[in-house]
Amino acid sequence: MWRVGVDVGGTFTDLFGWHQKTNESISAKVLTTRPDRSLGVIQAIKQAGLNFAQISHLLHGTTTATNALIERDYPAAAFVTTEGFRDTIEIGRQHRQYLYDPYQAKPTPIIARRNRFVVAERMSASGTVRRPLDETAAVEIAQQIAARDFPAVGIGFINAYANADHENRMREIVLAHNPDTHVVISAETRPVFREHARFTTTAIRAALMPVMTGYFDRLAAALGDEGFRGSLLILKSNGGVMGTELAKQRPEELIESGPAGGVAYAAYLTHATHIENIIHTDVGGTSFDASIVESGHGLITRNYELEWEVPISVPMLDIRSVGAGGGSIAWVDKGNSLRVGPKSAGSDPGPACYRRGGTEPTVTDANLILGRLHPSLGGKFTLETEAAERAIDGVARAIGLSRIETAEGIIRISCEAMAQAVKGVVVDRARDPRDYVLASFGGAGPMHACFVAQAMNVPTVLVPAHAGVASAFGAIAMNLRHDLESFLYAALDSIDTGQLNASYDALEARGRALLAADGIAEAEMVLTRTAQMRYEGQTFEVECDIPSQRIEAQDLPGIAEAFHAAHEKDYGVHSEDFPIVFVALGVTAIGRYADPPIFHPAAGGRPGEASTRSVYFDGQWIDTPVFSADDLVAGTTVPGPSIVEYADACAVLPPGCGGKIDEMGNLTINVGD
Amino acid sequence: MATNPAIAMPGQAAEELDPITFEVLRNAFEYTCGRMTTILQRTSFSPILSDMLDFSNAIYDSQVRLLGQSGNPVHLAAMQYSADASLAKFPIAEMRPGDVIVLNDPFQGGTHINDITFTMPIFLDDTLLGFAVSRGHWMDLGGGAAGGQSFGTHVAGEGLRLPPTKLYENYNIREEILDIIVSNTRTPHFVRGDLQGHLGALKAAEAELQRLALRYGIGTLEAGMRKVIDYTEKIVRAAIEEIPDGTYVGEDYADTDGFSDAPVPIKVTLTISGSNIIIDFAGSAPITKGAINSPMANTASAAFYSLQFFLAPHAPSNYGMMVPLELKLPDDCWLNAKWPAPVIGCTTLTSSKITSAIWQALAKAIPERITGSTFAECNWFVAATRDREGNTDVFSDLPAGGWGGTPYGDGMSVTMDPLGNCMNMPAETAELLFPIEYECFELRQDSAGPGKFRGGLGAVFRVRFLCDAELSMETARTREGTPGANGGGRSAVQRSLKLGSDGTRTVIGGLTENGEWVSPLLAAHPFGYDEQFMFESTGGGGWGSPHERPAEMVLEDVLEEYVSIEAARTQYGVVIDPVMMTIDQEATRKARNGAEAKTSRT
Repeated sequence: MWRVGVDVGGTFTDLFGWHQKTNESISAKVLTTRPDRSLGVIQAIKQAGLNFAQISHLLHGTTTATNALIERDYPAAAFVTTEGFRDTIEIGRQHRQYLYDPYQAKPTPIIARRNRFVVAERMSASGTVRRPLDETAAVEIAQQIAARDFPAVGIGFINAYANADHENRMREIVLAHNPDTHVVISAETRPVFREHARFTTTAIRAALMPVMTGYFDRLAAALGDEGFRGSLLILKSNGGVMGTELAKQRPEELIESGPAGGVAYAAYLTHATHIENIIHTDVGGTSFDASIVESGHGLITRNYELEWEVPISVPMLDIRSVGAGGGSIAWVDKGNSLRVGPKSAGSDPGPACYRRGGTEPTVTDANLILGRLHPSLGGKFTLETEAAERAIDGVARAIGLSRIETAEGIIRISCEAMAQAVKGVVVDRARDPRDYVLASFGGAGPMHACFVAQAMNVPTVLVPAHAGVASAFGAIAMNLRHDLESFLYAALDSIDTGQLNASYDALEARGRALLAADGIAEAEMVLTRTAQMRYEGQTFEVECDIPSQRIEAQDLPGIAEAFHAAHEKDYGVHSEDFPIVFVALGVTAIGRYADPPIFHPAAGGRPGEASTRSVYFDGQWIDTPVFSADDLVAGTTVPGPSIVEYADACAVLPPGCGGKIDEMGNLTINVGD
Repeated sequence: MATNPAIAMPGQAAEELDPITFEVLRNAFEYTCGRMTTILQRTSFSPILSDMLDFSNAIYDSQVRLLGQSGNPVHLAAMQYSADASLAKFPIAEMRPGDVIVLNDPFQGGTHINDITFTMPIFLDDTLLGFAVSRGHWMDLGGGAAGGQSFGTHVAGEGLRLPPTKLYENYNIREEILDIIVSNTRTPHFVRGDLQGHLGALKAAEAELQRLALRYGIGTLEAGMRKVIDYTEKIVRAAIEEIPDGTYVGEDYADTDGFSDAPVPIKVTLTISGSNIIIDFAGSAPITKGAINSPMANTASAAFYSLQFFLAPHAPSNYGMMVPLELKLPDDCWLNAKWPAPVIGCTTLTSSKITSAIWQALAKAIPERITGSTFAECNWFVAATRDREGNTDVFSDLPAGGWGGTPYGDGMSVTMDPLGNCMNMPAETAELLFPIEYECFELRQDSAGPGKFRGGLGAVFRVRFLCDAELSMETARTREGTPGANGGGRSAVQRSLKLGSDGTRTVIGGLTENGEWVSPLLAAHPFGYDEQFMFESTGGGGWGSPHERPAEMVLEDVLEEYVSIEAARTQYGVVIDPVMMTIDQEATRKARNGAEAKTSRT
């Protein structure tokens, strides 16, 4: 039976399949279909020549939820909240994105004000009822919701993280009048304090439910029609997968469903290559993504914002994006300084050299002029060097540099922007970049990876064998994963350990039940505990690992030690003078699937034989060997400067760098300094 | 602006800087300030820093010229003055790595007492690379009322005044100085944690500048520092040249200084010639008896950041911004406060009025680009609380209002004034920490100035005390709302109320129901158990005539309940059928034509 990963991106739908018995592998790439992206999934499987009935697991990464949110393209949902807090999801935290821009505007609220209802009720911070739910008013709201035919309703009450009784009762009342409506409550969506993030996340869950339910139902039906009888599993933002039934209930967990596959590939590489720490980077047409993978785990953030003041308060892979991709446009600002991005020519009209109407100079145009990209682009597409030259000349004149100097400058600046994103994830976590390997995914990634690594003092670059279909490959290496969390505010030195143990037990029981529902056997379940902790008086928590055993009073000093160490690691300071508090407890429940094997690359043609072309590096043209990746067998050394061309990607090794092919077909490059 | 004469000019940079390395360094300076912010926010203890972000961080070159800053605009130039004052007292030749100078003296580069500034030199071996400066608004540093808001007549009543003082030596705190600070605050439990945050921020800047010096060389780093300042100056000068030469006057006022019922006027005259601007406050009121005076550093900050919005909103905010600007202050002026004038309201009430006056002057110079004024307040209140067990604490929030309509769209609702970029206090955080309950923080219907593009909305804010409390607050815009631009209307007025546990409503600041006006400066106003403090903030001023706003947009505003049916008719001349909720086209045409006819008659 086949285990198949399918990643639906903005431009391409990628597939990678693995036969779990024969260890055969297959990949495919088709254009993403719009508006119904499920069609492309079917086409990719057909192009790969796979028999649908022979697929045991289909692991699917999708950007449908993210696109619906960004474009606010979903049927209007309703929101019910505590009297006095109707506008929490619109006001946000009352600060602004750009310090000095007088014309800026805030993002459109996820749910419009006219669709937000308030009801009298109030819980205290300790969870006692200060004011009972006004049931008469609640019924009137439920009737209005029915009259206006909302397909989904979010309910968010103040302090519901401490006591969800009123939210539950409100849900019953809404459902009594609207039996077919999706109704979600904040205490289930994310039971942690701070109303703005919890309410916004709840609103997002409600808004996405009709969209994603429709999408997954269509996809499951289409797959069923083709004879698919296996498990359809969805990639989620935390780096694991979940079944479609759960994905329909928790669509807010799908925001990084696309990039999560690439991160999983990086995690797989940490196992397969014995590299501990990887910086995962992915370059597309408009953006550059970066994240950290340590010992097989992508680092997680709890402070994600979709847009300014639109937080999604679920743990997810900490992926930073900057507007630096192949289509990013170079321009000259009022201070006469050369800038690149964030505006992008995208794929339409695309870079000037595409000759599809684009006239502004892009990163791809610069790479073409420097000889790093071949005009035939592997025979698939012809790039027009003259059009690229005209576009670059415009900015070159304005800043008084030559065409070629300008092209090289554009690459250096965009690589610096990429380095800033890398810095964002690495240094903000108080990590030292010199302890990492930079792994480069995406078609345009390996062209820039060595420069990004040099800018960040990262000593080694890794170009994985399947960089072109990275997210689909990563999908087959993923496990089921559920992150469960409950609120518990208590001082470490006076905590009731009975309550602590009971909270963890309850979370673990929920985790096991979720895994069992997707058919995971007890032996394949791995449950780990964490706690969100801080010094009393702080606002931000630091995550700490907690031992998976009954916690007694004598274990508490060890937990305090671990907290001090985690604080020091994240912020460079700690102090044993301050009391420590627990804020929330977490359990990660993983259902393990078998890891894919090492796919040995097919033996190439004539190892190491290269053509030559002239490529511009550091102010001069150099005759540079060009290798085809298919010809590079394990153990081949690739000295810099050189170019390695893949089916869907191209790696650039500048002078002073040296690469080597490992037994998995990965290219490891020492970037020197 | 003066730099410290004690610091010698360094030699010329060893090399010319290529445009690419420049871009790298420019980004790095920006990144460094962001990293300082992250550390201070995530590690500090007082909610005004960690939840509300009332702080700024900056780096300076070896001649104490600002290279980059993140945080609150009102700290922009003031931090420059405090760094200068610190170094005037502690010459750089005597400074060592890990020395940190603290100051908050309003008359030595500080603003108000609560803004406390830490300055640290950064060395690589024996070479001075520059300085890191971290400034936070501390919840309480003593004085006659919580947060220093006693509204007395002498600065000594506003809290502990620290001249430049060495607080750390070799990264170690001087305990005897720390003891003085801890002994002079209502919130001693925040002090050590907040200090750890500031030191963490300074050390992060030190590490980053040292990394850059090692990576690119000291000569290149210094060249990059000079060039980033030139770069901003070039952008600012180009922007000034686009403004027609001339003299433009703007005026605004504070409602009261707390002692006299007379408004306190600001008059600003902008003289634009070529690529320079002179900002002259001649004609503004003399020093006031009450605590709204602004020392020079604060006035300079306010003037400079107000212009930055229309000169160089996206350029790095650094010393280059200030070079083309010249500030002129009369000697006896409430915007040029000297000891012993009380100044607690300077950063909030006074700065925001300076902005409004400057923007109204700019409206005459660049009407096509100007926006309506913002609500021009901070609405910063501070409450000393005492619960039934006798525990005391200090709780604070700053419910924002709206920004003005722009040539391109409506203003932002409930967003911190240009002077800062603080966040509000989440209800659920506040209720975990303090004996209070949040009752309301919602948009306030009809609070925005009407216009073709209307202002953003203000808010209705209510908090219930489950304790005894003394609440202090300064605010204005209680006599008239925010002015609009290009024919846009004024917003509603602001108001403070006390709601009794028996349901009574008393206006304690602003206009009462029968039109009497009560001073909105509250000093330690008592609240009892179960009583509520209510505040109505105002929106931004409108842009362009409200009658040019398409009726469909007005209907949308009514459907969203941003605007009432009544205000749609009276302010916009749009008549909406209250049953069908559709536009009555005929009545609207009449209302709008009638108004035009009336306008043309006047």
